Amino acid sequence: MIISKSRDVCLPIMNLIRTKGFSILQQLHMEERLLRASSDNWCIINNGTNQPNIVMGISGKPEELIEVELVLQDQVPVIRRFTGGGTVIVDDRTIFVTFICNKNAIPGLQPYPRPIMSWTGQLYKNAFEAYGNFQLCENDYAFGLRKFGGNAQSITKNRWIHHTSFLWDYDAKSMEYLRLPKRAPEYRLARNHSEFLCRMKDYLTSRSTFIERTISSLEDHFSVRITEFDCVIDASESSQVLTTKLLTNQELEKAYSTQHQSFQK
Amino acid sequence: MVTRLILRSRWILNSRLPSISTEPLPVRAPGPTPALPPVEIATLHPFFKRNSSIGPNVSQLGISCHAWNQRYFSTSQALVDSPALVEVPLAQTGEGIAECELLKWFVEEGDHVEEFQPLCEVQSDKATIEITSRFEGKVQQILCVPGDIVKVGETLLKILINEMESTSEDDDSEASSDLQLSELEPETSLNNQQNLVAVLATPFVRHLAKQYDININDIKGSGKDGRVLKEDVLNYTNSKGIGKELPFKSHECAVNVDPFQERKTEFTASTQQWSYEDKVLPLRGFQRSMVKSMTVAAKVPHFYFMEEVKCNALVELKATLQKENTDQDVKHTFLPFLIKSLSMALNKYPLMNSSFSEESNEIILKGCHNIGVAMATPYGLVVPNIKKVQSQSIMEVTKELARLQQLAICNKLSTADITGGTITLSNIGSIGGKFGSPILNLPEAAIIAIGKIQKLPRFSDDDMVYPAYVTNVTIGADHRIVDGATVARFCNEWKLLIEKPELLLLHMR
Repeated sequence: MIISKSRDVCLPIMNLIRTKGFSILQQLHMEERLLRASSDNWCIINNGTNQPNIVMGISGKPEELIEVELVLQDQVPVIRRFTGGGTVIVDDRTIFVTFICNKNAIPGLQPYPRPIMSWTGQLYKNAFEAYGNFQLCENDYAFGLRKFGGNAQSITKNRWIHHTSFLWDYDAKSMEYLRLPKRAPEYRLARNHSEFLCRMKDYLTSRSTFIERTISSLEDHFSVRITEFDCVIDASESSQVLTTKLLTNQELEKAYSTQHQSFQK
Repeated sequence: MVTRLILRSRWILNSRLPSISTEPLPVRAPGPTPALPPVEIATLHPFFKRNSSIGPNVSQLGISCHAWNQRYFSTSQALVDSPALVEVPLAQTGEGIAECELLKWFVEEGDHVEEFQPLCEVQSDKATIEITSRFEGKVQQILCVPGDIVKVGETLLKILINEMESTSEDDDSEASSDLQLSELEPETSLNNQQNLVAVLATPFVRHLAKQYDININDIKGSGKDGRVLKEDVLNYTNSKGIGKELPFKSHECAVNVDPFQERKTEFTASTQQWSYEDKVLPLRGFQRSMVKSMTVAAKVPHFYFMEEVKCNALVELKATLQKENTDQDVKHTFLPFLIKSLSMALNKYPLMNSSFSEESNEIILKGCHNIGVAMATPYGLVVPNIKKVQSQSIMEVTKELARLQQLAICNKLSTADITGGTITLSNIGSIGGKFGSPILNLPEAAIIAIGKIQKLPRFSDDDMVYPAYVTNVTIGADHRIVDGATVARFCNEWKLLIEKPELLLLHMR
């Protein structure tokens, strides 16, 4: 007891926010603000989002990545987030885990994409121990060669963010909104969504098991403190210009015409 | 002497060579080695000129101009007198990453950039990465546009460094090289650092030594790598029997030592040399921010409320605390009390701790009392803030204030330190002056200027004259958010807590 308490004293603090069904757009806004305006370490775990959303990476072009006609027809919101990476469709069956850290928070960890990816990979490996053959495949979390978690990062002068969307479960129909990306990891081997992906629920007993084990693994590196959500940066603080944006109908319609024209060619 | 100076020049040469930004350490990245301009040996001449006693034969130094350390050095300026155009390449950002997409520029051609200032954002695979500048200089040419795929090693932009000439006075150039030396120290990975001639110390410690008229090189440093700390200077003065009250220590709160020195030097220089030419000062750093923030603030309808506050009880309390103080690192001043009592008053008048959103036409009552303290530093006006004062003790506020002051002097405040403020205090009285009309630090609703504490005669309730310590406070407020009555009541509440600090005990948590 005394030893673990004294260890806590030496470990940097990680503020943990746990939410459920929180809007992914608001979550991304909050993350972007915390990355840019806070000097603390943060972990955000959102157990499902309130409605289906398509989330693209920072340089994502909707005409290349999504079936725009279907998206417009079904009025699925499309977000362009502030981190790199690919496109996902998320809903209440997606679990989001985000780490926002100061660059010196983890001793010896260099603030570059690959080292951060490896470090988080090890953290989750510990969390998933005995629950399937977890591995970091290129930039994805997979059981065997089947992806269940996609990652994205942003590295600034003094801090970095690494966030993941985990597929607890998904509807195969939802994947129809997404096109096969031009750039795919080698291990994908041209598989379609249903052959490439897997569902966490087929490997773990419950969502809370995953969440608790992740927090437990995090406690090896940080002194984790639960933070009430409304103590975080005021959500309506407007002094920062955010990169994360919801695409407008006009933008989607423009993407549709581009997509339609290239299809006709 | 010659040997030591040669070692210093070797260190400076190694450390001053331009280095790659965001280079993974310590493994040298694969891929093409970015082209870097070699520093000619001839450029060492100006350095040696300042130390003309040694008159070295430069060719005997045998230093390779193309060698540089893997470790990044946070040098702000190369030791060259003439401007140099530096090509900044896209450095290796991770294993196996051969190219990145340029997402956006944070600077434009013609902009002045500071060391560590973000230049652009790139994307490689899953990550967006901010590329920061290794140099201070002017952006001469941008070679890529957003959307371009840039290969590792390809030049992103060109920066002109050392455009401004160094000062002519020998003392000033010595001071500036000392400043650079102390700034460089934390980032160097030298094995031979203990052989350096010049002692390592922060600008604050150097100034302290100067005030005591001590040669800082005579002091043995107890800090890391032989760095001279404040305690070393004070111990040295005590041992030499120099220990006396420093003349200019009347300021309680604001950090404002160096501007006076600078102004004195400028005034002396101007009386000695009759220069009739205009001098152009490019806007940089805090000055630039000040122009932007004041321009925006000018559009907001300000109104001002002034009140006289008696500080007798506060003066007595401070004296008591300082007498009982056992921690040498803590110095009790008035400002932490003023800050904490301000926070207590804000609990009752949250409208004073708010901001106005023009987009949504709403007033946002801020949950945290992040109280900003305006500081005049050698680099300009800066307003770092103390976070969540409502849950801090006065001791914690004192320590945090000291931490921010130290960082401000060295221009090392972080973004977090200077953002998120909800109300500002400007202790203009520490420099001089009784009244002020401060301009709001947007998007805050209020700003408070505190004048000098003066000892003045006042009448007591029984019509007796007594000496009162009096300060004038001027509250500037956004009239879109608050009206005169609110400000007046708020000020009454704060004044009561200052004049009767025992009331703080009633409400303190």
